[in-house]
Amino acid sequence: MKRTDQSPPRSFLRFFRWFCHPELRNYIEGDLVELYRERLMTSGKRKADWQFVFDVVLLFRPSIIRPMQPSHSFNQFTMFRNYFKVGVRNILKYKVFSFINVFGLAVAMSLCMLIVLMLAEQKSYDQFHEKKERIYRILSDREHSKAPSATTPFPLPMALITNYPAVEEVTQLTRGVGGDATYNQRVVQMRGYFADASFFRVFGYALAKGNKNVALSAPNSMVITAAYARQLFGDDDPVGKTVDFTNRGLPNVGDGEGGEATPWGSFTVTGVIADVPYKSHLKFDVLVSSSSMKVLYDSKKLADLRDDWKFNYSSYTYVVLAANKSAEDLEAALTDLTWRKKENLDGLKGFKLSAQKLTGITPGILVSNEPTQRLPMMVYYFLWFLAAVVMISACLNYTNLSTARALSRAKEIGVRKVTGAYRSNLVYQFLSESVLTALLALVLATLLIVFMRPAVTGLWINQYLNFDLQGNVPVYLVFVAFALFVGMLAGIYPALHLSKAQPVKALKNSEGSRSGKMGLRKVLSVSQFVISLFFITTAILIYNQFRHYLEFEYGFSAENVVNIPLQGNDHHKVANAFAMVPGVVDVSASDIVPSTGTENGMSIRIAGTEDEYKKFGVLQTDEHFTGNLGISIVAGENLPAEDTAAGDFILVNEAAVKALGYTNPNEMVGQVLDPGWGGSTLRVIGVIKDFRFTTPANGDGIGPLAIRNNPSSFSFVNVKIAQGDLSGTVQQLEKAWKRVDPVHAFKYEFYDDQLASVYRGFLDVVTILGFIAFLAIVIACLGLLGMTTYAAETRKKEVGIRKVLGAGDLGIALLLSRTFLKILAIAIFIGAPLSYAVNNLWLQKLPNRVDFGFGTVFVSVLILLALGLLTIGSQTLRASRSNPVKVLKSDG
Amino acid sequence: MKKYQLGEFEEVVMLTVGILYNEAYGISIKKEIEKRLSRKVSVGALQSALKRLEEKGYLKSREGESTQERAGRPKRYFTITAYGKKAMEYTRSTRNTLWDAIPRIALELKTVG
Repeated sequence: MKRTDQSPPRSFLRFFRWFCHPELRNYIEGDLVELYRERLMTSGKRKADWQFVFDVVLLFRPSIIRPMQPSHSFNQFTMFRNYFKVGVRNILKYKVFSFINVFGLAVAMSLCMLIVLMLAEQKSYDQFHEKKERIYRILSDREHSKAPSATTPFPLPMALITNYPAVEEVTQLTRGVGGDATYNQRVVQMRGYFADASFFRVFGYALAKGNKNVALSAPNSMVITAAYARQLFGDDDPVGKTVDFTNRGLPNVGDGEGGEATPWGSFTVTGVIADVPYKSHLKFDVLVSSSSMKVLYDSKKLADLRDDWKFNYSSYTYVVLAANKSAEDLEAALTDLTWRKKENLDGLKGFKLSAQKLTGITPGILVSNEPTQRLPMMVYYFLWFLAAVVMISACLNYTNLSTARALSRAKEIGVRKVTGAYRSNLVYQFLSESVLTALLALVLATLLIVFMRPAVTGLWINQYLNFDLQGNVPVYLVFVAFALFVGMLAGIYPALHLSKAQPVKALKNSEGSRSGKMGLRKVLSVSQFVISLFFITTAILIYNQFRHYLEFEYGFSAENVVNIPLQGNDHHKVANAFAMVPGVVDVSASDIVPSTGTENGMSIRIAGTEDEYKKFGVLQTDEHFTGNLGISIVAGENLPAEDTAAGDFILVNEAAVKALGYTNPNEMVGQVLDPGWGGSTLRVIGVIKDFRFTTPANGDGIGPLAIRNNPSSFSFVNVKIAQGDLSGTVQQLEKAWKRVDPVHAFKYEFYDDQLASVYRGFLDVVTILGFIAFLAIVIACLGLLGMTTYAAETRKKEVGIRKVLGAGDLGIALLLSRTFLKILAIAIFIGAPLSYAVNNLWLQKLPNRVDFGFGTVFVSVLILLALGLLTIGSQTLRASRSNPVKVLKSDG
Repeated sequence: MKKYQLGEFEEVVMLTVGILYNEAYGISIKKEIEKRLSRKVSVGALQSALKRLEEKGYLKSREGESTQERAGRPKRYFTITAYGKKAMEYTRSTRNTLWDAIPRIALELKTVG
């Protein structure tokens, strides 16, 4: 204790030794110490310490600091060649370890590279517009909304361009174009937007045919993409041709179905978009001039939103910022505009407009009502996190195995040091070795990517995300830089650790270094297994949840029911045609397919009361629907067949009875209800048993529901087929469809498949997480394999002697395994409760959860144990079976 | 034209090394300056001045004994070289010339009461 009191602050002394010029170091240090001792006597420790620190800091000046480069740098190249050579030899000499390292790093790197590819692809979106740096999309936001919306009020563009000089150009795209274009009896289904004349002044799309400046000016003109032009007109010149357009309200996003068919009249094709694979967040087959909208307003075929500031769900607004203005000017303009329009926005609390840079849309923040589907930035952060965990785990392997081999390298290090190597030289050597390993891993990872790419692009979700993951030069450069970085990261600790070895000890091969610290390595290995256990548990849990949703009891029978979109046809005709097909039990019609993601709602209260309106789910079906799906009627009777008055009657479910304050369903029958949207009152004709009309992931329990017979909104027929030859009946149905509608292709889906496919996204998450869990455990096991192999190898002689003295195989195997079994045990001890607790965090937020008991954790523990024991056992058993004579004879 | 470069602090250090003769090493120089001129001298400033002077050839050094109170580190003793002596003389003579050139009247300053 007294000795330490006598010495100056160690850290500063070390700092001084580090920076001081070697020629001066001893003398100055002597001076410093002498001075320190003297001050210690006269002014006490505190003051002496402070003055020492002060002196050291003042010594930190150019003339005292050592020269940056060591003066002996004349044969750097030869040295590096030597490092490289020794590195290659080492990799070849320890093939198992090298393989474990290279493979582990490669697996993790390929995962990271995949994400780099994904991000690079996202970044390449919307790069073809000349004004891309100045284009902004306007987002609107309301209070309590989860994310800002990409859509804006319809009158916004006009207000912006007329009043604000920061806005040089503005264009608006309005949703709602989706239907059939007919030319010479050829029918092509198209989806797109209303777009105004400034569209081509804002965006960089080129026209293969037609004049950009006028293409979208005149009413009833349209611009189509080259692919669709070919489909519709073949090799003829499309410009100037007239097509008939029947709108069916097909949604822009996804491949969903629309509603009623409305003829919009004829349109002249004024342009064809160049056949270039434009990568944009916008996707369209057709653009209809927005001047056409006026005609449609007049004939009541389109809702007139020209003065509606409150409805902000249908138009997208893009502005070009004036060249000398900044994004702040634009934001100021938007704030000003919101303030000025606050009367028009009456009742829209917290309404806000903001600008989003065009190039920041993909990848970007989560925005609702996007024109195309895409992963928000959060998902990439999450993926990065997972990849980083796996990557770090692989780096830990390298660190672990390299430090474990310190003993085998000690002689080499000793010789190098004795012949004059500085520690820094050795650090460089080990780093160059790890970088070499990382580069080898890069080669392997690139090969792995070739196999992984189709797996990712083949994921179900990719049909909406359209990844094709093609690399390019900058991406490959990023890969190489990444490999170098990984090499450094993995190698830095072993390099510092191994180069520390003291030559005298190393050359004497003292036993002391063998029983070196297992501490750090144990911690690393344990954390790897904890992570693996966590991933396995999570993957199993999500899979269970997926199964749980699949096997969910919906309360109706979806078996053998085929849903067929009407595609604009009259449902009577279709239903009659299908009813004649042998094998068809019954045919019903509905507006949506319940429980597959789409929901409609309305508000209802008992007529004549001032009660609060209750929120109801609403289905529009015909009278066959309940029977077809096996939904029983508890009280009253079924919906009446379609006639003029049928729309006045509704069926409600048991939940609705409760919601409206009744207990007995029979009391409900005959009640008159007042719908919140105004219009005529509705009379309850019957009460049906509760069934699930929303997806189970969308909420617990079953809410109130109203069913109404409203033929004008039907867009599906539901065909119940008798058990037996399903595919034969479906073929018959197709024939029947062809007779009714020779134009559109027959589309059908089995209802139970549809219900299952709602959760396809879940399956993708399971696939991805399962894959990552697999990688994590593979890497952890590889590390364990390396460590057990090494332990078995270094204790060969000991094993031999023990065997000669009569130890059994199993006993020796246990002896060798003990450390590693402990690692597994600790990992399970920490990992099991951790994965249980963390997974419960997100699971609690999910409606209709699966039971998450210790069973799931137990299964994943078993998997981990099985793999871990297999790894350990394979090596230790082999070592214990070795012939002691051979081992003891050889001179290791 | 400057023949010899010797800064003010450097000159002080040279003179002190001269005063201490055979006993001039880091701490003793520092203490001597602090005692005679009553100014604070940091180890850093002193050491960098000593290094500069040695590089210029005004001082030479030899390794001395290492003692217990220096934790076994040797002392470094400095002595003035012939070249250093010339530099000091040069500085002194230039200064004297300048002193002599000042007219008497310029130095007859009265303190105004």
